[in-house]
Amino acid sequence: MPDDYQTSLDAGAALAAAHGADDPFAAAIRATRMPMIVTDARQAEHPIIFANDAFVAMTGYERDEIIGRNCRFLQGAQTDPEVVARVRDAVETGQDVAVDILNYRKDGAPFWNALYVSPVRDAAGEITYFFGSQLDITGRKRAELALLERRDDLQAAIETATADLQHALEQKTALLHEVDHRVKNNLQLISSLLLLQARRTPDPTVRSALRGMLERVNAVATVHRRLFQSEDVERFDVAAFIRDLVSDAIGSSGRSDITADLDLERVDVPADKAAPLALLFSELLGNAIRHAFPDGRAGVIKVSVRRENGCFRIEIADDGVGVATDEPRPGFGQTIIRLLCEQLRAECETADARPGLRTVIRLPVNGKH
Amino acid sequence: MSDHTPLNVLIVEDEVLLAAELSYLIAEVGCHDVGHAMSSEEAMALATSLRPDLALVDVHLRDGPTGIDVARRISSDCGGVALFMTANVKRLPDDMAGACGVIGKPYSEHGVKTALTFLTACLRDGVAPGRPPAGFQLAPAWAERWGVRELPLSA
Repeated sequence: MPDDYQTSLDAGAALAAAHGADDPFAAAIRATRMPMIVTDARQAEHPIIFANDAFVAMTGYERDEIIGRNCRFLQGAQTDPEVVARVRDAVETGQDVAVDILNYRKDGAPFWNALYVSPVRDAAGEITYFFGSQLDITGRKRAELALLERRDDLQAAIETATADLQHALEQKTALLHEVDHRVKNNLQLISSLLLLQARRTPDPTVRSALRGMLERVNAVATVHRRLFQSEDVERFDVAAFIRDLVSDAIGSSGRSDITADLDLERVDVPADKAAPLALLFSELLGNAIRHAFPDGRAGVIKVSVRRENGCFRIEIADDGVGVATDEPRPGFGQTIIRLLCEQLRAECETADARPGLRTVIRLPVNGKH
Repeated sequence: MSDHTPLNVLIVEDEVLLAAELSYLIAEVGCHDVGHAMSSEEAMALATSLRPDLALVDVHLRDGPTGIDVARRISSDCGGVALFMTANVKRLPDDMAGACGVIGKPYSEHGVKTALTFLTACLRDGVAPGRPPAGFQLAPAWAERWGVRELPLSA
């Protein structure tokens, strides 16, 4: 039994006597479902002199275990000392204070207590009592903590997932570079092999066939060089490709008497159409270089690219000898042209342009004419 | 060019078939193929003893991606000019490791020949005969040295 018990019991009885059963304020405090206490500010330890039934029910203590004690008996191991200090400071300076504090029931079970403490002054302004109201907010606190934990978990999960994705992206980029590197090196190897064999072959027919294959490999190689240079690996700039290929094809033919006249609008095709289109163009350009200007005849090859009626229109025109050439067109080249047009759903027409020949390719923009 | 000493060219390339073909191209443009290295160690030994005017350097050699270091040392220690020939143009350092430029793989026969002819003129005259040919990307420092004002966009 606390030392202040009897004094506090007496003080509580005096307070109760001053506020009988007919006092509605006293009745309200006694009967409210909110736990409430009154402490005696004139005693050194500020002991509790009144506790209502709701307080008794919340804490699990008997009334005679409550009266005469300072409120701190509700504190325990996990109670935050800073919160306790805030309440103490408020009481010492005579201020109101509202805190959420972890308290313990008689059976040791912790509960979150929304505590409000406020001084009561007499007519002279002296603090005579403090009253405290409590509210068990364990449920709300638990939900708040769960939410915080969940947010931390989610945050951690997001960070982990982001790191995983970042790693996967880096791996994929590295893989793409590696594959790009291998494709380019292998194309280089193939063209070097063809060149080496063409050099050693005495038979002009075989050499010409090897040169033809080299041109085709070069066309595909030019596509790959262009394809991975751009940021967008899904689209392919036809005009840039044609500029590269024409300069290389005429240059490597050794025909300084043939000049190119380019009129190229920027036109993009899907990357999967790039190689067949490059092969088709290379075949037609090769024909013009080889057949239009025999016996040292000089000339111009005009190439234009533009959009026209929902199609890409590619024109290759020379001012050479036209169809009246003695040299038969190679059958394999014509087969390639026909097959690639089928694959690309492209229309390819060659007409006598007097002088020379004009070939027009019409490529559907979206797979349709 | 006939009244000038032909360029001595060192090939630094671990793919022998590519090196063999390059050797023909070098001869066809009137240069002189002085040797062929497949690793960085061989490259430095040959560059030190042969003192080539020009070294064609692949980035990936037999001992790994050591071509960048080879190019840097050839230009700083051996008095030669390095030219990269690689499929990894984007991985080259910004200063091109002191090299005069790069030819991206897959290159064409014509592309290599025009680049070698262009470089022969640059090294002989100390000034470029015009804009660099298609497929040859000139390093900014060398473009300035050889008076190439208008650099083509990195194609």
